[in-house]
Amino acid sequence: MSESEFSAVSAAAGRLALLPAGLRDILSPNAANEARVIDLLMAHTTAHGYERVKPPLVEFETSLLSGPGAATGGRIFRLMDPVSQRMMGVRADMTVQMARIATSRLKNAPRPLRLCYVGQVLRTTANQLNPERELVQVGAELIGSETAEADAEIVLVAVEALKAAGVSELSVDLMVPPLVPTVLATLGLSADREAQLRAAIDRKDIAAVETLAGDHAPVLSKLLGATGQKDEALAVLHGLDLPAAARAALDRLTTVVELIAAAEPGLRVTLDPVENRGFEYHTGIAFSLFARGARGEMVRGEVGRGGRYRVNGGTETATGFTLYIEMVLQALPDPIRRETVFIPHGTPRDEAHAIRVAGHATVQGLAPVADAAAEARRLGCAFYWLDGKIAALASPSQT
Amino acid sequence: MSANEKLVLALPKGRILKAITPLLTRAGIEPEDAFFDEDARQLQFATRDPELDIIRVRSFDTATFLAFGAAHLAVSGSDVLMEFDHPEIYAPVDLNVGHCHLAVAAPAEIAKTEDPQRWSHLRVATKYPNVTRSYFAARGVQAECIKLNGALELAPNLGLCRRIVDLVQTGSTLKANGLVEIDKIADVSARLAVNRTALKTRTGPINDLIGRFQEAARAA
Repeated sequence: MSESEFSAVSAAAGRLALLPAGLRDILSPNAANEARVIDLLMAHTTAHGYERVKPPLVEFETSLLSGPGAATGGRIFRLMDPVSQRMMGVRADMTVQMARIATSRLKNAPRPLRLCYVGQVLRTTANQLNPERELVQVGAELIGSETAEADAEIVLVAVEALKAAGVSELSVDLMVPPLVPTVLATLGLSADREAQLRAAIDRKDIAAVETLAGDHAPVLSKLLGATGQKDEALAVLHGLDLPAAARAALDRLTTVVELIAAAEPGLRVTLDPVENRGFEYHTGIAFSLFARGARGEMVRGEVGRGGRYRVNGGTETATGFTLYIEMVLQALPDPIRRETVFIPHGTPRDEAHAIRVAGHATVQGLAPVADAAAEARRLGCAFYWLDGKIAALASPSQT
Repeated sequence: MSANEKLVLALPKGRILKAITPLLTRAGIEPEDAFFDEDARQLQFATRDPELDIIRVRSFDTATFLAFGAAHLAVSGSDVLMEFDHPEIYAPVDLNVGHCHLAVAAPAEIAKTEDPQRWSHLRVATKYPNVTRSYFAARGVQAECIKLNGALELAPNLGLCRRIVDLVQTGSTLKANGLVEIDKIADVSARLAVNRTALKTRTGPINDLIGRFQEAARAA
């Protein structure tokens, strides 16, 4: 359709085409490309022994809001279940469902338990920056192991899957969300002051941190300064005088960085010990995955994130990753439409079948046409079946 | 990393731009001459550093360019950063210029007679609807914000609303319009802000620029 035809669309047709904010139709070749990328990500995750599970799209609100789901309360679409008369929610994140499965139906499965999943999630709120309200998540959870090896494995499996899907120039930002609360708790500040300080730390607003923290400013501003390339950041962190709990968290970080660097020496690893926004439910090492686009441009958001959290009322610990397919696709080249062969009406079925067996997709003519080449071009095929051979169209097909 | 895009620094037009020019010099950022020509139609400018470009945008748009990663760094008023409180934006350096504050103001006679405890709903004219709504919400008042882009001080006297939330520098505009300041919401100054993804994927050059701005602000 040309621009002038577009502007002439009738109001009624426009109303029919309009979708609610944040929802969209994905057409060819993008829909097929999305499925291909998901298959690659899942294949590389299941190859590491992560077993695929499939929870429902909708479940009771109370279970969606427990544990790691507590932070999604404001983003869940709710509906009343006419059968049970209870409130149900459409999942806004799938991690909470994995936690539920691991601690209920798979409670007696041996630990560590490895699960993976793919599915759509729906969110009530979107913002200008991330307007999509329906997202596809691919993820994996490693439940029941406290080890640094588990922290590293989750990052490494995510990285391997993304690389296999064709994402280049990955970088991993590792963080320790509980670190700042641990340090702040030892300072004995009033609740108000502590909240202000956390807000300032979240924004990396060094000036405000220095004003608010008083005597404690040097430690906090050094923590803020330890953001960046892993080696430089670790050097800063090792020189800090921190309470024992915070020190233990940083030692864990060091071990995980070493494990990751040993397994993926070429991977860019940065540290951000004070990052907390959006990672509130994490209780240990957490991470964000960033990538460059196919033309070297910065992909605006994270392609994935994850980290350690508690399940089952805090009695068990787990770590996991979630990959955001919309963002992963931005890091990949635009998909190329699959080329098809037009089969004129009346061609024997076994001939068309042989073409498909040879790996081509066919488009069957349903009625006789005078000019098979013209019909093939009209339908967007690159080739047509002529005298028992695949013939290329003279000019490039219209796509 | 290969095929790096140029880094883009967004600077706000107007009041802050004049104040930060010496700071840019001290930070070693030398824009091409056209940048200083107020009448230039050009919006994007090269600098002496081939890896750094400057764009000149409206003050309120600095945060938007930054949040979307269209600019990697920006000089932005802390008022603008408060209004667009994106988790994608960090504000590591207080440039210590462009000082003023964000305040609630009202006509003098209303301020004298009204009891704020009794409010449940209030109409407020402002350029900062998000800041205003959360300021009043924290006090249990629902603020219905009327978004204006200028001449806010006219609004109460013409019956548009009873309160305004605006930047106050000297207070003389308020006074000339018969308004008094009721409460200060926040101190405002210019900040160097950076995009989260840019900081984490282009750590070296961005930290270098942050360091230079820090030095430049300290030397002021």
